[in-house]
Amino acid sequence: MADPQPPPQAARIAQQDEADLVARAVSGEREAFGVLVERYAGVARRVARAVLGNPEDADDAAQDAMLSALVKLQQYDPRRPFGPWLLRIVANAATDRRRRRSVRRVEPLDVGLTAGGPRPDTTAERRALNERLREALAELPERRRMAVVLFDVEGYTHGEIAAVLGIPEGTVRSEVFHARRRLRVLLADWKEE
Amino acid sequence: MKDPLPFDHRPDAVLGKALREALDPGDAPAFIARVLARAEHVRVASWDAVLARWARAGVAAALFIALAGGYFVGRAAASPAAIRPTVSDVLIAPPAHPGEVEVVLASVIGNN
Repeated sequence: MADPQPPPQAARIAQQDEADLVARAVSGEREAFGVLVERYAGVARRVARAVLGNPEDADDAAQDAMLSALVKLQQYDPRRPFGPWLLRIVANAATDRRRRRSVRRVEPLDVGLTAGGPRPDTTAERRALNERLREALAELPERRRMAVVLFDVEGYTHGEIAAVLGIPEGTVRSEVFHARRRLRVLLADWKEE
Repeated sequence: MKDPLPFDHRPDAVLGKALREALDPGDAPAFIARVLARAEHVRVASWDAVLARWARAGVAAALFIALAGGYFVGRAAASPAAIRPTVSDVLIAPPAHPGEVEVVLASVIGNN
């Protein structure tokens, strides 16, 4: 895997800021850890939900990951961005939880939905689209789900996602490509209705 | 770096927005409060704490090894003196294998 490009100025400042927050959290300053939790709670919960589907399970996994990160903060390399380091822990926590959970599988996506089934009530349109997207996401392989969420939702680079998922950058590109192809069909069908 | 694959490098804003909304769990303050409350009971493992833990185990192991070593060395040093017979012991004590000597002598006399 190629080394990532040097981060731009804003990213460098954020990285320095996060390294400082981590150092303070390690020294026992809980406010510093609180800032990190606030900053990454959203992405951690979304990534966990992309893996697990169920929001309660996702929140439990995100919480476990954040507490695990707190215990392991000493292992964080401050020369690297904090986000991918934390999200790797989140991804592992969510994957572990999904493996342990043998039941409560998400039902396969209803073909009628993807093919543009009956249009739901207009007041529930947004909710229905969200539901369809979650179902479509659940149909994708786990790694593909995480890749597209990290790239299109969270704005991470291919290199950063490769670090999170522990796969080559080229594989990340491929996963994002295939996930997008599937999800764009769904969105296009929705717009056409 | 030249990209080997013709994939779009920019995030898809429309898809990203739709997915974000679909995955948004809501009630962020409650989640953050929950994590921070649990974090109060979590101890951060600092290097000095780790070293201190290993140091305690190391000191205990070294003490045990020293005591065990001292015991065996002391026992080894003491045991030869304890079992070494004195001159009088040797003279008074009966021979270790008296029967064998008598048998040999008897057979020699008998042959003569």
